[in-house]
Amino acid sequence: MIGGLFIYNHKGEVLISRVYRDDIGRNAVDAFRVNVIHARQQVRSPVTNIARTSFFHVKRSNIWLAAVTKQNVNAAMVFEFLYKMCDVMTAYFGKISEENIKNNFVLIYELLDEILDFGYPQNSETGALKTFITQQGIKGQVSKTKEQSQITSQVTGQIGWRREGIKYRRNELFLDVLESVNLLMSPQGQVLSAHVSGRVVMKSYLSGMPECKFGMNDKIVIDKQGKGGASDDAGKSDLGGGSGKQSIAIDDCTFHQCVRLSKFDSERSISFIPPDGEYELMRYRTTKDIILPFRVIPLVREVGRTKLEVKVVIKSNFKPSLLAQKIEVRIPTPLNTSGVQVICMKGKAKYKASENAIVWKIKRMAGMKESQISAEIELLPTNDKKKWARPPISMNFEVPFAPSGLKVRYLKVFESKLNYSDHDVIKWVRYIGRSGIYETRC
Amino acid sequence: MPYLGGEETVRELRRALSNPNVQSDQLRYRNTILKVIRAMSQGVDMSGLFSEMVKACATVDVVQKKLVYVFLCSYAALNPELSLLVINTLRKDCQDPNPMVRSLALRNMTNLRLPSLVEYVEQPLAAGLRDRAACVRRVAVLGWAKLHNLQASSEIDAAVVNELYSLLRDPDPVVMVNCLRALEEILKDEGGVAINKPITHHLLNRLKECDIWGQCQVLRVLQRYRPQSEDELFDILSLLDASLVSPHPPIMAATLSLFLSLCSGQPAVSLAALERVRGPLLAACGSGSREMRFTALCHIQLLLRSIPGLMGAHYKRFFCGYAEPAYIKQRKMQVLVELVNDENVAMLLDELKGYCTDVNAETAQAAITAIGRIGRSYSDRCLEILTGLLGLKQDHITSAVVQTMRDLVWVCPQCSDTVCFALEGCEETLQDSQGRQALLWLLGVYGERVSSAPYTLEVFIDGVRSEASLGVKMELLTATMRLFLCRPAETQDMLGRLLHYCIEEETDMCVRDQALLYYRLLHCGIEETRKVLQGRRSDPSLGVLIGRPAEPVSQWARSFNTLEPLRQGSIETESVSRGSPEHTMFDPKPNADLSNTLDCSRIEKVHSECVRCPTIPRCSPQSLQAAMQLVNIQTLAFTPPQTLPWRVYLYTHTCLDDAPHSTLILGELLYTGEEPQKAEVHKGSADGGVGAEGIEDDM
Repeated sequence: MIGGLFIYNHKGEVLISRVYRDDIGRNAVDAFRVNVIHARQQVRSPVTNIARTSFFHVKRSNIWLAAVTKQNVNAAMVFEFLYKMCDVMTAYFGKISEENIKNNFVLIYELLDEILDFGYPQNSETGALKTFITQQGIKGQVSKTKEQSQITSQVTGQIGWRREGIKYRRNELFLDVLESVNLLMSPQGQVLSAHVSGRVVMKSYLSGMPECKFGMNDKIVIDKQGKGGASDDAGKSDLGGGSGKQSIAIDDCTFHQCVRLSKFDSERSISFIPPDGEYELMRYRTTKDIILPFRVIPLVREVGRTKLEVKVVIKSNFKPSLLAQKIEVRIPTPLNTSGVQVICMKGKAKYKASENAIVWKIKRMAGMKESQISAEIELLPTNDKKKWARPPISMNFEVPFAPSGLKVRYLKVFESKLNYSDHDVIKWVRYIGRSGIYETRC
Repeated sequence: MPYLGGEETVRELRRALSNPNVQSDQLRYRNTILKVIRAMSQGVDMSGLFSEMVKACATVDVVQKKLVYVFLCSYAALNPELSLLVINTLRKDCQDPNPMVRSLALRNMTNLRLPSLVEYVEQPLAAGLRDRAACVRRVAVLGWAKLHNLQASSEIDAAVVNELYSLLRDPDPVVMVNCLRALEEILKDEGGVAINKPITHHLLNRLKECDIWGQCQVLRVLQRYRPQSEDELFDILSLLDASLVSPHPPIMAATLSLFLSLCSGQPAVSLAALERVRGPLLAACGSGSREMRFTALCHIQLLLRSIPGLMGAHYKRFFCGYAEPAYIKQRKMQVLVELVNDENVAMLLDELKGYCTDVNAETAQAAITAIGRIGRSYSDRCLEILTGLLGLKQDHITSAVVQTMRDLVWVCPQCSDTVCFALEGCEETLQDSQGRQALLWLLGVYGERVSSAPYTLEVFIDGVRSEASLGVKMELLTATMRLFLCRPAETQDMLGRLLHYCIEEETDMCVRDQALLYYRLLHCGIEETRKVLQGRRSDPSLGVLIGRPAEPVSQWARSFNTLEPLRQGSIETESVSRGSPEHTMFDPKPNADLSNTLDCSRIEKVHSECVRCPTIPRCSPQSLQAAMQLVNIQTLAFTPPQTLPWRVYLYTHTCLDDAPHSTLILGELLYTGEEPQKAEVHKGSADGGVGAEGIEDDM
């Protein structure tokens, strides 16, 4: 399976190298550096074949992670594994950067030892891994000695992601619905593609072995209940509030290992015994009826050969009581721009020559508002006949609701052995919608 | 890698490690070891510290143990004798009450990879299989696989194999999956784990318990199972239905792969399964991570070979995002070309047109090629776009457009008028040799319809002295000859100059010999020349895009969910750069690729014979070679040019995508050079499939 794992920095220096199988020679490390990292041209493919050895790589900021194998493996699985590896490392020491990797290299070796054995993925759940790992990431703070002595109960138990005997004075639950909305819109305002990829991230601090049940306004469930005539709490818990949409159609979703999939398949209810601490309960994607928080209306006019007039209007499309934050509109300018005059009604706009773009920032904006920027771009006359490719206008923002329309209906906690009930648990729910790739062509 | 202060650091660390003060202070000792590991991972050679580190291994501190093991495992191979000392400590650790220590010791014992230590390792490994802690059993099971890998020749005890089989029923799912993995490796020669009915049903029932990796492994192993009855087959299929639409791409792909192998006898069921995975596959195509998107796209391409209409309605999902990497964009375009139909063609072409001006030249060229492919069925619309692109006067775009037009004309002769009209004036913007070669080919073949053809050629001929590209010179020769045949009056003078230059001054043998060949050909008379040079202008039989028959699923089912689909496309992009269309239809792929796919056992020697060619025009071996390359006969090896008899080994092959087997023809050519010149051709034709095919010798 996976013959070795290498981590390089952007210069191609090896930060971590771990070889699991003998068929991967020492020169494999250099082969990848020479052929991929130091190659002049752009990366041709995430899978590179050098001398009958396949290198799968992913890049995180400027760190290259490469998995090497000589066998004809399942490509999707190797990539999935690399992602998982990144997740685990992030959980231990935060962002994957050269600095962090150098500071935590012993931890990484230890992780690599546990996650893969002889090239076969073994245990990749951050929670369960914690009991095996002696080192602490620079993020870590809890002493591990006590946990290690309890390992016997953990390794024999069926539940790999939670150990027994956890106690909290205050039982608390934090639930974040984090969504990123992606859009590609034509200049005429036609939606070419739009989808929301969302995550439900939970932090649970619960005692014992609680059983949780999570409900949301999934269309299939609501429709089923509607037939049964008991759809009373569907509209009640209006915690977010983009629009009055009752239910949403989820295209596909994945769950944390702890969720009982059989129950989800049969009755579409999400029930689970949660891991302790932070974890991602589910990941989903929707493509239908997305609330697009902003519309960008671009107007580009070429006045002669040396002047461009750009007017961009953004409209916020959500409840007036809500506030969007960290709005940033990025209007690309041609390479031969010599000067830019910008007028905007709100926020601050600046021409950044190094990025070839006008960056317009607005701190806050309420719903159902409209704002406009107009700019005059002066161009240097060039003999380059190359037409300006007109890259799309991109946008960043953060809104306090879920653009997919997802709403949490309930989250119930049952613990039969200890004496606390659902009402005693303090629950916090938060919705954050962020922009993914939010582009409008102009 | 050279790092500063290597020697110095080693000496300093050795001093610290053997200092009793440091050894007594646990924290200081651990920190020193940490420094050793850090230096090691930076590439400094630390093997000199091996004996000190072996001593540090005997400790109760788990952290220190782990650190030392990391060191030992990387340098054990260099110090087999000293490693023997570690074994004792490791064996002691295997008795430790803490299961983590036991598993750690066991794992590192097997990771030392020293054949000399095998005898010491076997006993703790056997005990490990019966350990009560699951994490120890996990390690022990894989340990046997490592042991087998270490000495592939020696047989693993049958009792151990039996024990591994019984551990398939272990309560811990990871132990179960590890057993599968270990047995697969140990029993590789016998074809892997025995997959019978009870094992299959047991594995299927426990599939849900496993994590992603385990499920993938189980699904892969199960591919070997053949259900005994139809009822059983459908029971299995309905059990696996949930994993087929699993949101995890690896599981979905592995399940589909299993479906296809189980239903190999029932095409209808396989097709239904393909329909079922459409949703999850499309979802994977839109996933946040680009590598997964790429993998999904490659697999969709496979699926489309059998059900071209599978994604028809979802063509918008394959539109490229601005910031996507070039490799994804190119794949998406390849998929888009497959999805084109009467309803979406306008929208699709509009989108592709947008990509033609991409900043990345390769992406732009791929977009233009894609438009050219669509042009085979919608030629008018596409030609309009292509001619429009010429107006941009950008060299990489013009080059790609001219190449695309050349390929298009070869398949759709009806386009030739528009193409001939568009060619005027684009020679000024063409820079690269590929584009100019294409232009020359077009001018040669359609010279009579392009009024400015002689003038364009003249510019080329005037500049031939400074021409660097071999291909362009050869193409120029052929084009001028062809043009001479249809417009002799205008071309005669420049042809003379060109031949004179090539024969008298040119230093490259290939060009010179080709010129000589043409010169002698002209001596044989104009009719002879016409016969040789004016071959076919087009080959409409290559087929339009839409009517292409769907391949049976079994064509590609074996390569599904492996690395193959990811590799295929990269070959396609390379073959974008090429010579004339006559050559490309044989699709000459690089040699290395051939050796990958060839399996000697499957080649049967169909026939070999010896042909004598009594009359051969007097010419040099090089020109023969050049002439043969024109008809896609490649040289494998040849004797030095001056020797007599001169021998050359030749091969040619067909690699048509839709043919079930490709034909490889090997030949030996013997050039005796004796008075009545004789050339012998031994033909050995090896064929994987149907029947023998001879070759026509153009000599």
